[in-house]
Amino acid sequence: MGGDFISYELKEFKLFEPLFRWARKKSIWLVAFCTGCGGIEMPPLVTARYDIERFGMMPNPAPRMADLFLITGYVTPKTLKRIIITYELMPDPKYILAHGSCPINGGVYWDSYNVVKQLDKYIPIDVAIAGCMPRPEAVMDGIREIMRKIENGEADGWRRYRENYEWYRKNQDELFGEGWRERDAKRWLAWL
Amino acid sequence: MAVTDNEVKNKVESTQKAPQDTQNAKPELPNTKEGRLVKELLEKAPYAEGSVRREKRIEFRVPAERIHEFLEIASEKFEMLMQISVVDWLKEGEFELVYQLWSVSESVHAFVKTRISRENAKMPTVMDIWPVAETYEREAHEFFGIIFEGNPRLGPFILEPREYEKHPLRKDFNTLSYVKTIYGEDFDRYDESKTNYVI
Ligand code: SF4
Repeated sequence: MGGDFISYELKEFKLFEPLFRWARKKSIWLVAFCTGCGGIEMPPLVTARYDIERFGMMPNPAPRMADLFLITGYVTPKTLKRIIITYELMPDPKYILAHGSCPINGGVYWDSYNVVKQLDKYIPIDVAIAGCMPRPEAVMDGIREIMRKIENGEADGWRRYRENYEWYRKNQDELFGEGWRERDAKRWLAWL
Repeated sequence: MAVTDNEVKNKVESTQKAPQDTQNAKPELPNTKEGRLVKELLEKAPYAEGSVRREKRIEFRVPAERIHEFLEIASEKFEMLMQISVVDWLKEGEFELVYQLWSVSESVHAFVKTRISRENAKMPTVMDIWPVAETYEREAHEFFGIIFEGNPRLGPFILEPREYEKHPLRKDFNTLSYVKTIYGEDFDRYDESKTNYVI
């Protein structure tokens, strides 16, 4: 996380901020990264019945172009490594919407050795939807909530991640062991 | 609790008795393709017990020392190994390995069951019969700690390395205490009086 990013303190940016927010809210692109049971809830969301494209949302092929990361269910430590790397590849501002009770507290996998409890310790979550599995209506409600938050500027997970990077990094290292990025992530993405 | 235990025991006994009775009385494998398949195999391998469960399902019990021999004979009819699954019988101190075979030519699914002791569980590999067994044996090795002699790639496989040593699907693996050491104590789920554990 280097220092050279666009400073939002510039006067021009301050002036156009409402416009930017409105534009962000109306053009959320998703990372098509399905974890857990909720991957199966995505087809009804993007197809004709619930059709999230009317909100300007669409599944998108690369994390470099994405705004919203849908965590669609339980997360194992192995998936979490991929999630963290994918999340860090996304450009700011970026948002996370977590489905179901598993990312909140483990859900039915509360004593499973292989499911991450409380995902919020490792990456910042903006909106969490309770339920096992939430119906598409509930997901739509979560999407409306995140649109509202983007418009008010409350969806600041990416800023929290930047500011508290040491804390998140410490939790991740505790779970995976020091140097997991060098050990594992470099194998998948050589340029990291 | 005691009642259910008894019931379970009774059930186990009755299920164990049933094949013995049938063996003593030597009845009659049904005259279907399954029955003929079992009979044919038992003639070649008299040390095994075999029965027909229902249409397209047959079952064998084989002593662990002769499993490789038996599977080699069975592989003439059963071209495919579909899975090696393991059941952990904690009270009896045994692992039950179930080799699931599929016969493409006859469309019959066979379970070949064998029991080995939990301590120092060792089996010969069947990679020389079905090369695909490598993956299943690695999985059984990682989750239960069974050593398949002759498989060159046993070792950490799917899980994180720290779980590999613990063999998490064994029944005596305490998931809850493991979860607390890995993910923190604050996920304890007590009710308001802090006495009962709730899910
Ligand atoms: S909350 Fe329920 S439906 Fe969602 S991932 Fe967990 S178990 Fe599956």
